[in-house]
Amino acid sequence: MSIIMKKSVPIALVFITAVIFLLEYFVLPTELKSTVTMLQNWGIILTAFTLGFGAVNMIMFHGKQVSRRAKGQWPYSLWLLIILVLFTLVGVIMGATSTQYSWLYSSSYFALSATVYSSLGFYMTSGIYRALRAKNAESALLLIVGVIVLARNAPALAAQFPILVNMDSWLSSVPTTSAQRGIMIGAALGAIALGLRTMIGRETGFLGQTTEGEKGG
Amino acid sequence: MLVAGRIFALGMLIAICVLIIVCMELAKKNLPTFRKIAGLDALPEMIGRAAEMGKPVHYTTGLGELNTNVASQLVAGLSVLSYVSELCAKLGVRVIYTVYQSQVMPIATELMKEAYTRAGKADEFNADDQVRYMSGEQFAYASAVQGIAERERPAANIMIGPFYAESMLFAETFYRIGSIQLAGTARGYQIPFFAVVCDYLLIAEEIYAAGAYVSKDAVLTGSIRGQDVGKFIALILILVGVILTLAGSNALIDVMKL
Repeated sequence: MSIIMKKSVPIALVFITAVIFLLEYFVLPTELKSTVTMLQNWGIILTAFTLGFGAVNMIMFHGKQVSRRAKGQWPYSLWLLIILVLFTLVGVIMGATSTQYSWLYSSSYFALSATVYSSLGFYMTSGIYRALRAKNAESALLLIVGVIVLARNAPALAAQFPILVNMDSWLSSVPTTSAQRGIMIGAALGAIALGLRTMIGRETGFLGQTTEGEKGG
Repeated sequence: MLVAGRIFALGMLIAICVLIIVCMELAKKNLPTFRKIAGLDALPEMIGRAAEMGKPVHYTTGLGELNTNVASQLVAGLSVLSYVSELCAKLGVRVIYTVYQSQVMPIATELMKEAYTRAGKADEFNADDQVRYMSGEQFAYASAVQGIAERERPAANIMIGPFYAESMLFAETFYRIGSIQLAGTARGYQIPFFAVVCDYLLIAEEIYAAGAYVSKDAVLTGSIRGQDVGKFIALILILVGVILTLAGSNALIDVMKL
């Protein structure tokens, strides 16, 4: 594939699309609204189309694992392929809004998803246990702040020591908010710089890095 | 013509873009120096460790999507993926990139293939094995990544992009299996989780600078200087705003509302 198709065309597309979206945000004429809606619809269609790539990738990878009887992997791969086929068949034959499909989704994925989300509590506890160890000045500070916030969120302690509520409120609204705003300003400037580099074709990492000769300019 | 309430923002956007372009041009003559980013400097060491252990490297861009407001974080993650893939190819380490959004898969495949080609190891790249689509559902994706961690025991885990509740599931699972971890996100709520569990952390703007940092390209690093000048402008605006507000004036707020 020539360098024009691999680099120049994608960069030109990124530039044109970005300019259209920027104009639509800052400039009043409504003609751009329909263009933006059309581009967004293209995005949705592309996403739906690429789901096919995803399915093919899954079938190829897990199919190989099953055929090779990959140790510790193949039973999971087989189960995944069965579920993939089952969901596809029920969805295509009965419809994605059918009672059968909804039942299948809510009694399998929905329940499992909620379970995984709930398990987060254990992971957080384990992370906090390691984080709240006063190994140096910074971690000691984290420990103190962590204890205050935890104690304030325990209703019995907060009722017994109302000062905890004020301390937590100050910690949330002053140091935490200032730090978050600093991070936000930095992130916004970083995003602008990255966006600009991408628009003018200097940031090509997401297209695969180019050589100096290919970069031009 | 212009949307009311967004005129000041447009002016600032144009000013910062001009500033960044000027800094990029100046960088051609005078290469800027900037502080080291420990997490990015540690990448060769992390991959070297994986090579010594004969284990793979896991890479994720989190729940990055190309058609939402986190697209910039995804692009930043993909820029580093290209660099990581090339390093892995050179050292003969298998890098596994797990995909959340199927749209990203063809881009990542092409990007990694090119990285392997640059390293002269094009024949060693196995797209079916190394670029794995997991799921477009958050916790199905999270579980699949945890499964890879438990079964394949990667020596290093690199997470750059937008992360949500799954951040802690990933960080803790990979910590438990002994992976060395680098995490970076611009999502403020997840930064503390990564900070307490991961070995290296890229905070917000650092992920956007990552592509420029690892490329060592003078012009790209110039844009990072532009970012810093932008920060000074933000600081000045904050100070002026505080002084004016203390003096009982809403002048700056009124200008910002234009």
